[in-house]
Amino acid sequence: MRKIWAVIRREFVERIRTRWFWIMALLGPLFFAAVFVLPTVLAGGGGIRRIVVVDATTGSVGARITQLLNDSRVFRAVRVSAGGEVVDSLTAEVEQKRLGGFLILTDAAVDSGKAEYRGSNVSGFATVGALQRTIGEVVSAVRLEREGVDPRIVARARIAVRLETKKIAGGKTTGETAAQSFSLAYFMGIILYTAILLYGINVMSSVLEEKTTRIVEVLVSSLRPFQLMLGKVLGVGAVSILQFLIWGVSARILLAHRPGFLTAGDLGEPDPVFQVPHVSGATAAVFITYFLGGFFLYSAMFAAVGAMSSSEQEARQAQQPVSWLLVLSFVSMFGMLNDPASAFSVTLSLVPFSAPIAMPVRWAAGNLPTYEIALSLGILAVSIVAVTWIAARIYRVGILMTGKRPNLRELVRWVRA
Amino acid sequence: MTSPSPSPSPSPILILDRVSKRFAGHTAVDELSLSVPRGVIYGLLGPNGAGKTTTIRMIMNILEPDGGAVRVFGEPSGGRVHSERIGYLPEERGLYRKMRVLDVLVFLGEMKGIDRRRARQRAEAWLERLGLAQWRLRRVDELSKGMQQKVQFISTMLHDPDVMILDEPFSGLDPVNTQVMKDTVLDLRSRGKTILFSTHIMEQAEKLCEQLCIIARGRKLVDGALSDIKRTHGGHHVVIGFDGSLGGAAQVFADKGLVSKVDNYGQYAELELASGADPQEILQRLVTSGARLSKFELQEASLNKIFIDLVGPEAVRA
Repeated sequence: MRKIWAVIRREFVERIRTRWFWIMALLGPLFFAAVFVLPTVLAGGGGIRRIVVVDATTGSVGARITQLLNDSRVFRAVRVSAGGEVVDSLTAEVEQKRLGGFLILTDAAVDSGKAEYRGSNVSGFATVGALQRTIGEVVSAVRLEREGVDPRIVARARIAVRLETKKIAGGKTTGETAAQSFSLAYFMGIILYTAILLYGINVMSSVLEEKTTRIVEVLVSSLRPFQLMLGKVLGVGAVSILQFLIWGVSARILLAHRPGFLTAGDLGEPDPVFQVPHVSGATAAVFITYFLGGFFLYSAMFAAVGAMSSSEQEARQAQQPVSWLLVLSFVSMFGMLNDPASAFSVTLSLVPFSAPIAMPVRWAAGNLPTYEIALSLGILAVSIVAVTWIAARIYRVGILMTGKRPNLRELVRWVRA
Repeated sequence: MTSPSPSPSPSPILILDRVSKRFAGHTAVDELSLSVPRGVIYGLLGPNGAGKTTTIRMIMNILEPDGGAVRVFGEPSGGRVHSERIGYLPEERGLYRKMRVLDVLVFLGEMKGIDRRRARQRAEAWLERLGLAQWRLRRVDELSKGMQQKVQFISTMLHDPDVMILDEPFSGLDPVNTQVMKDTVLDLRSRGKTILFSTHIMEQAEKLCEQLCIIARGRKLVDGALSDIKRTHGGHHVVIGFDGSLGGAAQVFADKGLVSKVDNYGQYAELELASGADPQEILQRLVTSGARLSKFELQEASLNKIFIDLVGPEAVRA
């Protein structure tokens, strides 16, 4: 027992002494904030887009669309009349990156709802969507006015609806909005994925270091291989908990001071998709429980991978199947966010390899029956024991092996031996 | 404790009883039995691939035998249970490269079951003694290879074990460290410790070992006290000095049943005995032939020669 302690302490002390730990600790919150904010910023297209409206209409539609585009914070629009070589010269402008693109408006816009946009980046769905909305608004207003509807009534009818969403949990309507739940789920998914992968790989390289330096031989002559593996996993696990504590505290400080980057980009109103969620004690508990579960499950597998490899390159290859399990769970998170109660989501939150990410995501996104959590935790616990048992047997043989990596048949023999 | 007697003491410190280890496809150690008495330097000799490292790993519980039993300190358990009393230097050595020298030593001391404070004191003392004191807070990978080897010795002896198990301790050492290692082994021996070491270099074994066991292809060829082994396996050469009369010595030398090769100088001759020939019979026949002898000496073969004689046929088969 005292020897396991020594292994844990060495793993812990040596890791928090590294520069990397402190870089991660300090930059982690910034990194996650970036993960949070970047999609919005990127989807927003990154600032103002200069476009030209080539107006070939006979009425005021072109002018009104230009006006409305300029009212938005996204576009800076200039209206020119359609003429012989306008399109050619604008094409050249776009080519030289002096112009984002140009919109060609004809009377067909009002008559049959057709308009054309030519630009360097037509796949930017946010830009295209905004254009389409603006044109649609003006066109429908013009059509209504043609039918004799009072322009003031049209203006009033245009007032947008803001749908407020609230989450029902435990029979009560909470103050939490759907956007906040979504943010929380998304956020937890990303952190869980990143942390389990990062610390799992840490365990792997630690095993590999002892194997390649052959120091493992002295160690397993003093304590059992399983004790060594256990101490290693617990030591790295303790580092991860410390990392989370640092992140938690710094996130709190950052949020309390609402730094520039969360409201950067002059978004004015609260961003409609990503909002800073409220993290309750229960949520934190679910998060930590599943993190530890996932970490133990995956780090046992990573330890086995480290033990069966003889070099960094070999390990990088051999760890791919394990990483893919994790990547798969992470990617399916996006599907689950759409419908946290679907059969797909429920299955993923029960399968032990995806549960560590899937269950906290479902927890954050929607209301969960307690028995499902209990069932998922039960399955996870049993799997941890089973996987650790198998991994320990591979570990025991692998750490003393040199030369070529074992194939599947040999692995099975190691486990059975 | 300090018993210079080469004969096994009544309670051997280490016993292997028909220990076997099979790996996929081949038997690394085959029903090997040996017994290491307390307070001796014991050599485990064999060519490369003979099973020395596998044997040592089984003694240390790093590998579990497929058959047979290992007894250490009279208990039916291997070295791991007694790790606080055993110092182990594996054949392939290494340290945590990124750790500080002192931290590595303290950690490895803890692994052997001594507490941090004591491990620290002893590590400091050893570093001082081997001239590494000013390196104690440096990272291992900043040290030269020779210094790393010294750190490795220290880690093996830090907990002041009763038994040292050294796998090819001299391989890869520079001349200075070879000397340090040799002195250390002799010093430990003089303090009553038991040392078991493996090697394939016979010159070292011949100088250091009191007891030994030669194995090849996982099997024991011979074991026992070095002097006994030399006596039973080394008596193939006879040196004879004559005092004047040769008598009928020429007829004796010509007997192919007794002598396979003669190098006769007149008053001095070197004989190589035919296999199975008894030197006593030669002596008797020389005396009855009327030769006057000033010298009749069975010459000891070197351990190297014995080793090659014993292992040679095995090696050819391998």
